[in-house]
Amino acid sequence: MDALIMENVSKSFGEVLAVNELSVRVPTGSVYGFLGPNGAGKTTTIRMIMNIIRPDSGQIKIFENGAGLRRGQATNRIGYMPEERGLYRKMKVGKVLAYFGAIKGLARVELGQRVTQWLQQVELADWANKKVEELSRGMHQKLQFAVTAINEPDLLILDEPFSGLDPVNQDLLKDIICRMRDEGKTILFSTHVMHEAERLCDFILLINKGKAVLNGRLDDIRSRYKSGAVSVELEGDTSFIRTLPMVKRTESQGRRMEISLSANADPQELLKVLVGQVRVKAFEVKMPSLHEIFVRLVGRDNVEDS
Amino acid sequence: MWKILKIAQREYLDVVKTKTFILSILMTPAIIGIVIFFSSRTQRSITGPQPPRKVVIADLTNQLTDDIKDSFEQHNKSNPQRQILLQEILTDSSATGTGSDEPVKQKVRDGQLNAYFVLDKDSVEGTGKILSFTRSTKIIDLDLISNVENLLNSAIFNRRCKLKDVSQELLAQISELRRRVPNEIIDIGSASEQKRIKKGEQIAKTMASFFFMFMMFMGIFGMGQHMLTSVIEEKNSRVIEVLLSAVSPFELMTGKILGLAGISLTVMSLWSAAAIGTAYYGAAHWWNITLELPIGILPYFVIYFILGFLLFSSILAGIGSICNTLKEAQSLMMPISFIFILPMITWFNLVQNPDGLLARVLSFVPPLTPIIMTLRLAATPAPSFLEVLASIILLAVSVPVVLWAAAKIFRTGVLMYGKRPGLWEVLRWLRQS
Repeated sequence: MDALIMENVSKSFGEVLAVNELSVRVPTGSVYGFLGPNGAGKTTTIRMIMNIIRPDSGQIKIFENGAGLRRGQATNRIGYMPEERGLYRKMKVGKVLAYFGAIKGLARVELGQRVTQWLQQVELADWANKKVEELSRGMHQKLQFAVTAINEPDLLILDEPFSGLDPVNQDLLKDIICRMRDEGKTILFSTHVMHEAERLCDFILLINKGKAVLNGRLDDIRSRYKSGAVSVELEGDTSFIRTLPMVKRTESQGRRMEISLSANADPQELLKVLVGQVRVKAFEVKMPSLHEIFVRLVGRDNVEDS
Repeated sequence: MWKILKIAQREYLDVVKTKTFILSILMTPAIIGIVIFFSSRTQRSITGPQPPRKVVIADLTNQLTDDIKDSFEQHNKSNPQRQILLQEILTDSSATGTGSDEPVKQKVRDGQLNAYFVLDKDSVEGTGKILSFTRSTKIIDLDLISNVENLLNSAIFNRRCKLKDVSQELLAQISELRRRVPNEIIDIGSASEQKRIKKGEQIAKTMASFFFMFMMFMGIFGMGQHMLTSVIEEKNSRVIEVLLSAVSPFELMTGKILGLAGISLTVMSLWSAAAIGTAYYGAAHWWNITLELPIGILPYFVIYFILGFLLFSSILAGIGSICNTLKEAQSLMMPISFIFILPMITWFNLVQNPDGLLARVLSFVPPLTPIIMTLRLAATPAPSFLEVLASIILLAVSVPVVLWAAAKIFRTGVLMYGKRPGLWEVLRWLRQS
């Protein structure tokens, strides 16, 4: 079942084609990352999903009922955190959270409980009675996230949720996102920092200049682009390895050794051979990083700012 | 509906709790109060004690010196608060020939004298005139001149009586016979009961109709401005995108309108209570008149207010949504402000002629209808019921039209940043479904 389906969606601003024939299916209960350098079309895509701007062509369907958001239609099942953060600066932190909870349809009895709970989750409980303008940038960001998620929507759409957060708070946010995924929520977020996505996403969409470069399950993509290399740490005589038919090349890196396998060779077979002859202290099938894949696909020259 | 009420509540508290709002609520009546206080002070100083006035009289008839002195003495005795000091009576011998009274005129110019009067030679027997010389003709000096003229005339009258040998007893009898008959104006207008009208009551009635118009003006135009600030602030801080992921633009706009209407009603009730309380107290204790406020128009006032506020605030929501800064919005507001100022500029004409052509025409310009009709309902003659009904229907029909257009502009405009859309683009939005 898909929480979101986009089919051949395009949008141009004047001469610039911001999004070009984009098709995505976001399965329910997954974390989907929209990746790409600045100006790739991530925010435009998200704003089209939120129906803030209209696509020139193509279709967007949300939830299984098969219809996109009508312009002006709102639903409590979606939580949206825009790229540009904004909250009422003069209001108190707790009041802001309660207000957005209320207009997102939370009943009064539930509301107070949720506010306390979410303030604790984003570690802002001590700030409940301070004004929003007194918060630091990172705290503001966390409050904005709490505002987005307070009614625990089925689909969370987050535009660059980690920008402006220190590593500790990034982890805090990631933990919450993972918890929500485990509860069956669908989370779609955009980022221009690849390794953030690597640790969090089930699926990724890699966009460059408005076009999808890569799209699918992260594990599939990685194994598709695996380099056929294995990194090992061994004890004993390792000279025989070079002579094995499945091995193309070996390269010693201090205590470790990198073994390049010939095409169609299975790392499992290599491990079996190794276990019989030497002591294996570490064995790792090398996976390419998203950054490497991206660079390999579009070429370093095409990556403007990642 | 719950969402709309939440938005309205936040909008209401957001404005009402600010210090500037509380100050402005207190300041406006305070300023009006100060103005009324000072104008009543100057009013009182016209009837109150005044510094003595100095005059010189040239009596070219050469026979009135005693009579003039008598009448001045009598005046000063019966008017201790407005003394007129007769400094000198020049006679024929000292004031004939051109330019021989130049020093006296110079004193008038220098301000040492308030006025200088010359009685022509044949003022008693023939058709001579009284010439008055003053420096600057202020209203208060005209008062002095007419006072002195009266005194001189009574002196001449006395002199004529003496010349004709009219006895003192006969004079006393004549003045008794000439006593004035007091009058009263009675309004037999609509009520079967005939009412006596004092001048003060007439003024109070005019002021009351102006007050109701002013209330309507402030309630709609003054408070509607908050709409612009509120929409533009949310647009600038990008709260709007978060809001619109939870509520529809129409819900947001409706909530805002309701919240601001609540603010407006709060302000108007506070001001009205203060003003009406003061007016009743003043009528009883200071001005000694019976005050009859047109309380009967209150239901109409409420109807006109609700419709007028809906109309105006949805126009402002539309304008605010397509602007990025308050400055941009203000330039778009110019023509609208001008229309709204119109009744304030012409209010005197409107009050005097509540069923005149101007009032009738402006009654049917929808944004102005509430303001003009309030004034007309509070004034006499009241507009016919048919006119009231027609204006309410016109207003009630234009409200949904404007609301619909504003909502369409709002939902597109509020998410647009950058260049302000032109008129054609906005019209295109209206045609879009």
